Amino acid sequence: MAKVRLHSIRKSFNKTGVLHGISLEIASGEFVSLLGASGCGKTTLLRIVAGLEGVTQGSVEIDGRDVTDLPPEKRDVAMMFQSYALLPHLSVAENVRFPLRMRRIGNRDEQAEKVRAALETVQLAHLAERKPRQLSGGQQQRVALARAIVSRPKVLLLDEPLSNLDARLREDMQVELIEMHQRLGLTTIFVTHDQEEALSLSDRIVLLNAGHIEQEGTPGQIYGQPATAFASNFIGSANLLPVQIVDGPDGPLARFGDGQDLALARDEPTRGAATVALRQEDLTLAETGSGPTVKVRTRVFLGARNRYVMTLAGQTIRALTGNDVDFADGQEVTLAIDPSRVRVIHE
Amino acid sequence: MVRAVPVWLRLAGVVFVVLTALVLLAPLIVVVGVSISESQFIAFPPNGLSLRWYEAVLSSDAYLGAGWISLQIAALVTVLATLVGGAAAIAIHRRQLPFSELLATAFLSPLVLPTIIYAIGMLMFWSAAFGTVTPMVLALSHTVIALPYVVRTTLAVLSEADPFLEEAARTMGANRLQRLWLVVVPQCLPGLAAGAFFAFNISFDEAVLSLFLRGPTLTTLPVQIYGQLEFSPDPSVAAVSTIMIALTIALIAIIERMLGLNRFASA
Repeated sequence: MAKVRLHSIRKSFNKTGVLHGISLEIASGEFVSLLGASGCGKTTLLRIVAGLEGVTQGSVEIDGRDVTDLPPEKRDVAMMFQSYALLPHLSVAENVRFPLRMRRIGNRDEQAEKVRAALETVQLAHLAERKPRQLSGGQQQRVALARAIVSRPKVLLLDEPLSNLDARLREDMQVELIEMHQRLGLTTIFVTHDQEEALSLSDRIVLLNAGHIEQEGTPGQIYGQPATAFASNFIGSANLLPVQIVDGPDGPLARFGDGQDLALARDEPTRGAATVALRQEDLTLAETGSGPTVKVRTRVFLGARNRYVMTLAGQTIRALTGNDVDFADGQEVTLAIDPSRVRVIHE
Repeated sequence: MVRAVPVWLRLAGVVFVVLTALVLLAPLIVVVGVSISESQFIAFPPNGLSLRWYEAVLSSDAYLGAGWISLQIAALVTVLATLVGGAAAIAIHRRQLPFSELLATAFLSPLVLPTIIYAIGMLMFWSAAFGTVTPMVLALSHTVIALPYVVRTTLAVLSEADPFLEEAARTMGANRLQRLWLVVVPQCLPGLAAGAFFAFNISFDEAVLSLFLRGPTLTTLPVQIYGQLEFSPDPSVAAVSTIMIALTIALIAIIERMLGLNRFASA
C-alpha cells in the first residue's frame, strides 16, 4: 500500500502528444479508475506508472519516492494485462509464484503458502497444477489476478481486465474485485472504457479525454454533476442539445431551434446560447403534456427497457423507458423531465 | 456439398493421390528392395533375400568412417545452427535492432542462394585465405545453409506468442537474463526443436558442399555413397541409404513425439 503521485506528466510518441500534463494524486488504498475512450491515453498513463513507458516530461512518485527513472522490475507494482499474459509453459501455481520467485519473497515453503492463499482468494486452488491453456477465459483472468496480488504490491495496475469476459462473468468479477479491494486494501489503478464498470468499482474516477483530465471525482460527483459537455455525453451518454435560454413567465426556459420550450430550474443563472444535457434515463414520454413534442423514429427493445430514438428540432434525442411504454414509429409524443435534472452547460 | 462432386472428379482425385504417393515412395522402395538383394549388382526387383550388404556396410571402414564424420558434423551443425538461428530469430522478432528487416532477409537468403555457388565461393575463399579445409569449415558452411530453417521455425512460434509476456515478466520483477531464460526461451522451444531437427537432417544428407569441401580425411557419408556409386557400384550403396532412411524416420518420430508431447503439455 502506498500513495502514488503523478506530477504534470507529458508523453509524446514520435512528436505526437498523447498525454498533455497529467497531475494526479492517489491516496494509499484508494481504488481509482482511469476512464476514457480508446486513444485517450489511459493505458499509456498506466504503463507510465508501471515503468513500461518512459515520460517525456514530469515525474512519478510511489510511496514518496521518485521512481520516474526506475525500470518496472525495480518498482514494486503489479500489472494485470488485458490479454492476462500468463506464461503458457508454466502451471497455474508456477505462474502465481513467478513474482515471488523474481522478487525473492520468502523461502519455498512460504512462497507455496502465499500461492495457495492467492489462489484461494480467486477460488482456483483446485486448478493449481493445470496449464493456462486448459482454463477458460474467466479462470485465466482469475489466475492473472492472483498473480498480481500474491506479492502484495505497493500499487496494483489493472488494464481493462474485464473486457474479454462475457457480460455475466464480468458482473461476477466486478463484485469479486470490490470485495478483494476491501479485504486487501491495495492501492489500485483501474483502466477502463466502460463507464458502468468505473462507476460501480471506484472510489474515484478520473475521466480522460485526448490526453488531459476532463474531470475527476467520486462516481456520485461524476455521474451527478458532469462538468463539461464531454463528461455529460460520456457518462450516462446524455443528449446534448443546443438551446437559447430565455426568461419565461414562470422562470427560465430552454428554447430549442424549432421554438419549443423546456422548463428549467428557477435558480438557473445562465441566459443566452447554451447546451442542455438530458440524460436518457431521466426523460419520460407521454401522449400529451406540457413539454416539447418529439417524433418517434425507432424503438429499440432492450429487454428490461426500451430505448426510443426521436427527433427534436432536427436533432436526435434518445430516451430510456420501461419496457411497458409503447409508442409507434412516426408517432408524436411529449417529453417530460424534472427541471432539476436538466444540466445546463454554457460554453 | 461433398456429394455434389461428380464421380469422375473423385476418381481423378484418387488417381492423382496414388500417383503422387508412387512418385514419392517408389525410389525409396527400390532402394530398400535393392539393399536386401543377394546379387552382386544393383538390380530391382532383388534376386534372393540377404542381409549381406548390411554386413558389408557395417564392416566397411570407409562407410563407418564417413558415417562417423557425418554424425559429428551434423551434431555440431545442429548445436551451432540452433544457437545462432534461435538468437537471430529472437532479435529479429523484437524489431528493435536497426535494419532488422534487412537482417531477416540476410538470415533467410541461403534458402534462395544456389548451394553450388556458395560451395564454390567458400572453397575459393577458404583455400586462398587459410589453406586446407578442416571439418570445422564444413560444419560452418553446413550451419549457414541450415540457419534459415531454425530462424523460420523459431519466428513462426514467436509470432504466435502473447507479445505482452515479457512486459508482464518485467512488472513481476524479472531482470533481462531471467526474462530471456524463463520467458523467451521456453516460448521458443518447439520452434528450436523443429529447427534443430531440420539442421541435423540438412547437414547429414548434404552433398554439394561436402563434395566441394572434401579432403582425403574429410569424406562425409553422402560423398562416400556417391563415390562408391560412381566407381564400384554394388548394393551396399542401397544398404547404407536404407540405414539413412531409417535414421531419418526415427528422428522424425522422436521429434514428432517430443513436439507433440510439448504441445500437449502446454495445451
